[in-house]
Amino acid sequence: MADYDEEARRLVIKLVYYGPALSGKTTNLMQLHEMLGTELKGDLMTLETQNDRTLFFDLLPVGFRAPSGLMVKFRLFTVPGQVIHDGTRKAVLSRADGVAFIADSQKNQSLNNAESFRNLAENAGRVGISFEDLPLVVQYNKRDLPGIVEEEEILARWSSTKWPVIFASAARGEGVKETLEALLRPVYLSLDADFDLETEHGLSLEGFVGSVLKGET
Amino acid sequence: MSFDREADLSELLSGEGLESLGKSLAGLLGEDYALVSSKGEWLLGRAGEGRKSISIRLELEPLGHLEASCDEARLRGAAGLVTALLKEARRYHMASELHLEAVHADYEALQEKHHSLLKSEEKYRKLAAELDLRVKEQVRTIETAQRQLYQAEKLASVGQLAAGVAHEINNPLGFVRSNLATAGSYLKDLKGLSGLEGASVSSYWKANGLDFVLEDFAQLLEESVTGVDRVARIVSNLKDFSSVDGSGKKSVDLCENLRSVGELVSGQAGGRIEFEYDLSPLPPFSCFPGHINQMLLNILMNAVQSIEGGGRIRIFSRFESGEILIGIADDGCGIPDEAISRVFDPFYTTRVVGSGTGLGLTVSRDIATAHGGSIGIESAPGRGTEVRIRFPAGGGK
Repeated sequence: MADYDEEARRLVIKLVYYGPALSGKTTNLMQLHEMLGTELKGDLMTLETQNDRTLFFDLLPVGFRAPSGLMVKFRLFTVPGQVIHDGTRKAVLSRADGVAFIADSQKNQSLNNAESFRNLAENAGRVGISFEDLPLVVQYNKRDLPGIVEEEEILARWSSTKWPVIFASAARGEGVKETLEALLRPVYLSLDADFDLETEHGLSLEGFVGSVLKGET
Repeated sequence: MSFDREADLSELLSGEGLESLGKSLAGLLGEDYALVSSKGEWLLGRAGEGRKSISIRLELEPLGHLEASCDEARLRGAAGLVTALLKEARRYHMASELHLEAVHADYEALQEKHHSLLKSEEKYRKLAAELDLRVKEQVRTIETAQRQLYQAEKLASVGQLAAGVAHEINNPLGFVRSNLATAGSYLKDLKGLSGLEGASVSSYWKANGLDFVLEDFAQLLEESVTGVDRVARIVSNLKDFSSVDGSGKKSVDLCENLRSVGELVSGQAGGRIEFEYDLSPLPPFSCFPGHINQMLLNILMNAVQSIEGGGRIRIFSRFESGEILIGIADDGCGIPDEAISRVFDPFYTTRVVGSGTGLGLTVSRDIATAHGGSIGIESAPGRGTEVRIRFPAGGGK
């Protein structure tokens, strides 16, 4: 649930990049840090890694001011993907307003993807998030690698769900912004219901998405 | 409190760190400076006029500002240092808070697991207790049924024995009764002598054949005594067999048991079977005589039943290397190879339904085992069977 501070006129939105180990969550954030031209953009904070593996989390803050003067802040987190860090994953996931699930397209990773997705659903329940209502987007990363599962197969697999599937190659910066956009839309809809973004703050869906995704100027 | 809450300036800078930062800043900027949080808290330095000011930010919004009257380059440098310090402080702050949360989450998960383990343990404990009860109940049921069956078997063999004994007693009773009737008529003949004198005595004597009467009378009495003796012996054997003198443990000479049971059975065989006793002296044996006799009876009756027409049964005993051996061998029909391994199985019988319980040898083996002994059986089909029972000298436990 987003953190709304009426006195400071500030809305803080938490987005979490979830997924199996080494699927490219941190790479997504690093690319966003490069690509986004949001009005306010902080440094990418990486908290301890070990052999390229996130131990705690990464944090990228971005933000803009709504026409009403409301400060809209986004804090993009990654979770550690390794199975053993489940306690950390749970703490990072808690109070999330939206989740980008970063899956690894390589054929030999299907099981890890499924296991991690199941873990996401379980942990959401444990930290009091309704998984059914949680804004969620699924990114199939590493499309540039050989030995990956066909797009048709992936789309067929997810066709029975309501979640959008985005194909990406985060290392090349492809599909990264699209993934964030696909996540921002349902996030806006659920926030608008709670905070009257449109009526109170003059912030439309397109204004919301566009302000975040503004290209680097 | 959660790790991802944005900490303010006073949370990130506190205690000793703040104090030493104050000293360093004073050295850099001179005494006329101040570090103020965005909420207006005065963290370091003092109030002053006409200062230049630089805001300090970590994420998007300023956490506070640094102001001083020194030149701007120096102030900018100092602000850079404070920012770098704050970044480290924030890393540490978030990591430690997150660590606490994660540990707490892990602990809760463990508690949950522990709780469900306790529950399932409780469930299995209950199940085990229930199973234990059920098994005990089943064992009780089986034991009762077994006892009843054994009792039935005992009654069956004793019943068979009783029928034989009745027949055996009936025979001497019959001829003793008939002898006594004849003796009565002889006595009447002799009574006719009273009142006769002289020549009439000798003519009566001759006419009634009293010479023969007197001779036969004596013979009748002698025969009757033999018959009564036979009945007495049978009764005595029966008494031994049933051990009416008490059902407790007693020290006995197994040879005597062999002989008395053997005689009981041989009486019923009606002379068609020859019994041979080859008994060596045995040390006293402490046992339940009633049970031992039942065992011997079962084996001997099997031997009798295996012999059609005439035959021989050899009953023998030995004492060798600290062990009592008793054996019963017959020259009857023997046991077929396919049956020999099953003769001790409960309810296994080759006899027609109703004529055997199939428990005779089962009970016999149980009795031998209960006395610390063992029972073995060897048979050649068509030539006979030999049963050997071994006991440790002195008796079982």
